[in-house]
Amino acid sequence: MELGMPALDAFILALAPVERPRVLFLPTAGGDPREDIARFGRVFGAWPCRPQILSLFRIEADDEPLESLILSQDIIYVGGGSLHNLLALWRAHGVADLMLEANARGTVLAGLSAGAMCWMEGGVSTSVGIPAPIDGLGLVSGSLSVHARQEPERGVVYRQAVQSGRLPAGWTADDGCGLLFRDGRLEEVVVSREDAVATHVDVDADGMLVETVLEGRRLEPVPQAVGGDGPLRREFEPGDGLGPREERRLVRQIRARTRAGGSRGWRRLR
Amino acid sequence: MEPKNPMMDDYVLDLSGVERPRICFLPTASGDADHYVVRFYRRFGGARAEPSHVSLFRRDTTAGAVEGDIEQHLLSQDIIYVGGGSLKSLLGAWRAHGLDRTLERAWRGGVLLCGLSAGSLCWFSDAVTAFHGPSERVKGLGLLPFSNCVHYDGEPERRVAFRELVVGGVPAGYGVDDGAALVFRGTELEEVVTSKPNATAYSVRRGESGEVYERRLDARYLAPPAPPVTPPGEVVVHDGRPAAAVRDPR
Repeated sequence: MELGMPALDAFILALAPVERPRVLFLPTAGGDPREDIARFGRVFGAWPCRPQILSLFRIEADDEPLESLILSQDIIYVGGGSLHNLLALWRAHGVADLMLEANARGTVLAGLSAGAMCWMEGGVSTSVGIPAPIDGLGLVSGSLSVHARQEPERGVVYRQAVQSGRLPAGWTADDGCGLLFRDGRLEEVVVSREDAVATHVDVDADGMLVETVLEGRRLEPVPQAVGGDGPLRREFEPGDGLGPREERRLVRQIRARTRAGGSRGWRRLR
Repeated sequence: MEPKNPMMDDYVLDLSGVERPRICFLPTASGDADHYVVRFYRRFGGARAEPSHVSLFRRDTTAGAVEGDIEQHLLSQDIIYVGGGSLKSLLGAWRAHGLDRTLERAWRGGVLLCGLSAGSLCWFSDAVTAFHGPSERVKGLGLLPFSNCVHYDGEPERRVAFRELVVGGVPAGYGVDDGAALVFRGTELEEVVTSKPNATAYSVRRGESGEVYERRLDARYLAPPAPPVTPPGEVVVHDGRPAAAVRDPR
């Protein structure tokens, strides 16, 4: 879900061979942030599909059981965040096995960032601060490293991992680039931006890296969808009497403080 | 962090025995929900404590975050405060980051561990949760070798499920009302304190022939502090806003 550029999302939606496909969004890797849920709602809520959210932090007693919910979807769309946490939570809730089953049934499995790498044999995650190789679910042979142009330090770690054999050969992808695998094989590379590419990274018999740039098919721009996030937003708890504007302001301050590397001096927050 | 009732939070700060305790919030069970973190800082951000929080979902955005930092930070705290949410998600994320071991070390090192809802269940060997439809048993960190069931007064089906599980072999343990807290020193239950006059906790155990016993425990209500005595010559005016002192012209 690129901000204001839903071309890749529209591409994913068109992969399901049914009218009004059921699309399940899992924002697990980000800790189910409201922004991601709202953004999914705005984009998919305006399209001819049946969007749903699965929050592993807000499961209620009367919710549909995970098994029937996951196995009844046409498309499963996984959001970005911490791949480390994503896989740990999926395993804790038994979702990882259900994804294998969904894959066997032919469900379209999609995602961005951590949500893209999770399907592969491995990737490079910054879940613990510094980029490090990590194993995925292994539904697709090969590895994937995302944000290639945007976070070059990931690519360095990725190439080292492929060269050393820690990760199998695979691909790096720029933001705005999608890789379509069918039956475990790369079928097509698509891009929503002119300059986005994927790069195939392999090791030859002498242990040298061999890289091939794959230019993708440029997707037609899709107008930004409007509205439609109403029924999808499910609040966890009201923000202790905070108005939405005030809450956003405080959240921005928290984020800025977190990025600055410390969490002290909070007394001045309000 | 009960809305509009700081009694339990004040009690925890007092219990640390430190003038201005370092208190670290772990909002993991909520997925590090921003508004929950905001609430924590609003509650503990005064002059009484030195608050901080650890996010397991945004470690990559923290400058200089490396493996080991979180452990060091947690071990240097006076209080570790765990928020509510999904117990399974909490434990899954903690184990993935090695926090289960870190928290045990903190506990053995004398750090005061506390929390509410999932943040209470996590310390016990067996937790009874109602998150996935029917109540189920989840293995917690096991620092306290008992079972625990929270929201005991709020969700009647939990009470039934808890008793059934104890009959079925789950270790003896405690059912706790909203507004009540169990205070353990080591693994010994020291007392039950409450932030509501009628809240309490129950000890639940299995008898020799499979019957279940439930005993209501004595609880101490943490009454709100007595209003300050008005010095002679002053009138305290309450109008819903903070009290204002008005000097008597005499």
